[in-house]
Amino acid sequence: MVNDGDDKVEGLLSPKFRSVAAMAGWDEEALLMASLVVEDTPDRLPKQKKRSDLLHFKTPPTNSRRKRRAQKRSPASITATVLDLDDQDTAKQESEKKEAESTSIEKLDKKGDEALEEQGCSVVTSSTKNIEPKSIEKADTKVAEASEEQGCSVSSSSSSAAFPSIDRLREELSCAICLEICFEPSTTPCGHSFCKKCLRSAADKCGKKCPKCRQLISNGRSCTVNTVLWNTIQLLFPKEVETRKAAADLSSREAKRQSPVRAVATHSNITSSRTTRVLLLNSPESGPSSQERRNSRAMRRQSARASVMPSRNRGISTRGELPSQDGDAALALRMQREEFMESFRTRSSADEQYRSSLALARANLRAMASRAINIRVRGGRGS
Amino acid sequence: MYSGAPSGGIAIGGGGGGGGRGRGGGRTWPSTTSVSTSGKRIQKEMTELSMEAPPDCAAGPKGDNIYHWVATLFGPPGTPYKGGIFFLDITFPSDYPFKPPKVVFKTRIYHCNVDPSGNVSLDILTENWSPALTISKVLLALRSMFTNPETFPLLADKPVVPGIAHLYLGDKAKHDEIAAQWTLRFAR
Repeated sequence: MVNDGDDKVEGLLSPKFRSVAAMAGWDEEALLMASLVVEDTPDRLPKQKKRSDLLHFKTPPTNSRRKRRAQKRSPASITATVLDLDDQDTAKQESEKKEAESTSIEKLDKKGDEALEEQGCSVVTSSTKNIEPKSIEKADTKVAEASEEQGCSVSSSSSSAAFPSIDRLREELSCAICLEICFEPSTTPCGHSFCKKCLRSAADKCGKKCPKCRQLISNGRSCTVNTVLWNTIQLLFPKEVETRKAAADLSSREAKRQSPVRAVATHSNITSSRTTRVLLLNSPESGPSSQERRNSRAMRRQSARASVMPSRNRGISTRGELPSQDGDAALALRMQREEFMESFRTRSSADEQYRSSLALARANLRAMASRAINIRVRGGRGS
Repeated sequence: MYSGAPSGGIAIGGGGGGGGRGRGGGRTWPSTTSVSTSGKRIQKEMTELSMEAPPDCAAGPKGDNIYHWVATLFGPPGTPYKGGIFFLDITFPSDYPFKPPKVVFKTRIYHCNVDPSGNVSLDILTENWSPALTISKVLLALRSMFTNPETFPLLADKPVVPGIAHLYLGDKAKHDEIAAQWTLRFAR
């Protein structure tokens, strides 16, 4: 019974706390009580309070017993620190970056161990020698440190759908509303997580109930991002998060772009707004080849400025009669469209299918935005 | 000059209107892509359904428009609807995950939760809709509706077919016989 309690205490309290408690002369019942109350609060803070609490309903044990206990406990604390070190080692094996979700990945490792072994070996290409994941697990700290880069490569390959259970993870981390990987997840009081945006619009349009369990959620407005979950998602699915971020950026830029266009329609300081718009257009593509792309775009920009050919698109053919201000807007539009065409081409040449669909979606967005501008420009002229 | 400006405005407005018609609400774009969140979500559901459909169900877009689906339900064995194939029309609203899809039986069915024009009274398709529900879950609910008709509907203002419900409660054998007859007649 006493030993049992001791074990529990060992599991729950940090060795530091325990050693401090031993010095202060707590008996294990007091420690158990503390472990029940403390859980994950910082270890130094609750000491005073717990003691005063415990003094109320606990007769202080005799001095001799306390001392014996303290001596007994000190080796236990040492073993606990050893255990902690072990944990750190495994985290290192995974990679430094992924320490946050190391436990989950460990689980995955155990599940898809064989698969990872094969795939991991096949994926590891150039970096260094070939060490099997299993051997990494068994290896001592030195070897683990030596093969840290390798561990990185293995885990990164595993995050890109090399492991069988990544699908399960994807399912688990996807938002039930948009069915994609949660983007800036927000967790309801009932414990369900959705994209912040999705949760907000669900609260707006479907009442303040959790979409999953229909429990009342206090307020859709005040939802905050679950940082741990969000960081985990960003580490596990960097690609998806990036595409979502790009899309979000795009939409925000479209919203931003609305205002300078209006300025063009009304005011006459066109050039400055044009340059800002051009900058805005250039900013999004921050890929590896952005520099050369930018150069080519600059060339095209000049050529477009030199010769504004009206009959290229159905949208532009109508704009031939427009005066100079609107012509400028048209130029911006054309450049934008060309940029899109280019990005579409490069994207579709890339192997992944969803990339191309993203580019298509982007195209649609652009087209819509350009139409909105058309309407706006016309509206500005009409009024 | 005074008259010139409005006429110019009208001309441009007319051009804009023509453009609007030409756009045709997204029909000029490839139907496989959609900007909106609803379109994305419907596409996701489509791919998921094609990967693993719920038992005895099938669903997919009717044509180019991904907002109009057709679904088929096979009458589950052990019910009077056994052997029947029931076609349903599913229409997604533009703000789809936040508003329920509209589900209509195209095949006639003798069921107390389906009115003569095919409208289904299912609480999850009206006031108990949740954006976390998907079409496959709706199809599962419809399937379970075959085995367990909802005789005490939650919607007081939208009564199901009361006659059928009464018969189901009072004389289930008779109800099942009629339902089987209807299945034989309309759903095969």
